[in-house]
Amino acid sequence: MKPPQTLSRPLAGRVAGDQPHPPAPSPMLQGGGAQLPPNVIEAAVAALERGETHYTDRPGIPEFRAWVADHLAERFGLRIDPTEVTITCGSTEARFVTMTLLAEAGSAVLCPGDSSRIRGALHILGAEIVDSVQDDVSLLYLSPDVYRETSIELLQRAEETDWWIVYDLSFAKTAPPFHPAQNEKLASRVVTIDSLSADLAGWRLGWMAGSAAALRLRAGKQAITICTTAVSQWAGLEFLRSRKS
Amino acid sequence: MTLLNPNIPESVRAVAADGTQLRYALMEMAGQMDDIITLGRGDPDLPTPPHIVEAANRAMREGRTGLTPVQGLPQLRGAIAEHMRACNGLPVGAENVMVTTGGQEGLFLAIQALIDPGDEILVPDPRYTSYDDAIRRAGGEMVMVPTDREDAFNLEAEAVEGAITPASKALLIVTPSNPTAGIVTEDRLRAIADVCIRHNLIVIVDEIYGRIVYEPWRHFSIGSLPGMAERTITLDAFSKAYAMTGWRCGYAAAPENVIDAMARVKAVTTGPVATVSQWAGLAAITGPQDCVGDYLKIYTKRRAVLLDGLDRMGFAYGEPRGGLFVWADSSSTGIHAAELSYLLLKEGRVLIFPGTAFGENWREYVRITMLEPIETLKEAVERMLPVLERYRV
Repeated sequence: MKPPQTLSRPLAGRVAGDQPHPPAPSPMLQGGGAQLPPNVIEAAVAALERGETHYTDRPGIPEFRAWVADHLAERFGLRIDPTEVTITCGSTEARFVTMTLLAEAGSAVLCPGDSSRIRGALHILGAEIVDSVQDDVSLLYLSPDVYRETSIELLQRAEETDWWIVYDLSFAKTAPPFHPAQNEKLASRVVTIDSLSADLAGWRLGWMAGSAAALRLRAGKQAITICTTAVSQWAGLEFLRSRKS
Repeated sequence: MTLLNPNIPESVRAVAADGTQLRYALMEMAGQMDDIITLGRGDPDLPTPPHIVEAANRAMREGRTGLTPVQGLPQLRGAIAEHMRACNGLPVGAENVMVTTGGQEGLFLAIQALIDPGDEILVPDPRYTSYDDAIRRAGGEMVMVPTDREDAFNLEAEAVEGAITPASKALLIVTPSNPTAGIVTEDRLRAIADVCIRHNLIVIVDEIYGRIVYEPWRHFSIGSLPGMAERTITLDAFSKAYAMTGWRCGYAAAPENVIDAMARVKAVTTGPVATVSQWAGLAAITGPQDCVGDYLKIYTKRRAVLLDGLDRMGFAYGEPRGGLFVWADSSSTGIHAAELSYLLLKEGRVLIFPGTAFGENWREYVRITMLEPIETLKEAVERMLPVLERYRV
């Protein structure tokens, strides 16, 4: 028999040929990658040797979650419990889970900056991206690269709404001047996304932290990938700890 | 049946209607207790075989850890295709294969690529409820297809055909089954294939336990049958056969346009699988396969011990023909399965899962794994027996 090319029935509308597609897969790097610091590799090897080859806790290994909570406390003065942190398969999964669980199908997501990284997830959800305030906004997506004045103005507006706010620190080109969750009126609606994609892209490590929806987001991640790759988490933890020291 | 024990904590009671969350609530409860024997989660206690770990170590030390194409390392896709041709009889090339972040993501991507709101997907009952979320998110409707203990939870073509409506688009099969440990036998799959071709149904088949099948039974892939390759999405993973759950590496085989669509969804869902896991997967599928047979021998011995224990407890069961579980009828206790699981955890310090975690109607069933050494399984039985005697209605 010949390898099959086409399914006997049409694909779902969200991926069909006449629909706008999510972005194409990332360019190939063919498995190559920069040499990592030896201590990171040795931490990963040691993790495998002590048998860290099983499912981890669904939201991630406790040490990594604690590091994220501590980091957000030190960097921005946020009070986030490690139980509100979920380690994800890169920031891609963190964005997909937050967008598809917190934004509403048929609503608008307000994105004053680069929207390329959320376009695919919102296409699948069936939500629209807008760059200015309108009535049906359900979520505000911000990154540090958005003009400070624009961000402040939108966050002031957010105080009068029930928007969820996603603050994406991954791929930020500029140092974050502030954090939306520093505003106590907004803190319970702010999810922070970050990742090690710039340094450890092939290890697929990111996280989402905080908000009243933290447990729902954790369950959403579990439903897709159960947990994040165990050895990646141990390598990432060592990378973060050594970078800090 | 007695009512649910009022002492069951709110954390468990609140999620009792959601199978997946119920399992996690029980696991979290067990995690806060000492000296628990965990026969709940399907996570093999055995180690990932050393040659696979060594291949991962080599890849890391040689710096082969950069991002891969979203469909997976080309070498791994090729090796998987070759394996599926040789072992499963599937007519696939590398272009029909993609690597997924575990088997569960494979199902998520397939559903997103295939199911529109309002489409019906036929699902054998009981079911692996972790798949519910993917179907719900796509707007699909699950239609249950009954299976029963007397038939060892095999799936009947007549039952499938009886559940078909004009809105039916796909049939989901998990064989060997989680939770029942039944398999869908070759003769039944041939009859089911006829039904699917006649009604133009797509089949999504999860074969993650396909290499853990007990004598004299054999695993069979429905996608190998004439007329099925163009309507079948076959899902598998390294997690169970090679004890690699924590690596999160699985794969899917399907017609090329489905793989293309799944890859486009994966690009915005999780991106490529961790590269080190893919090198490990490549070592698993191309390296020596003795480990799979060795592990199967271990599970076979454990299965005998567990079934003996269930006989002593007065639990009936359909013959477990594959997988890592026993799906046992606990009706002789007269206790609701959720309450029974709670009592066995609280007083017996043994974690098992209630049948209601795998379908609303399975109040008289429990799922017990064989993922502990034989002595521990024997100890678990000794712990459960007095609890059952104390509470049996």
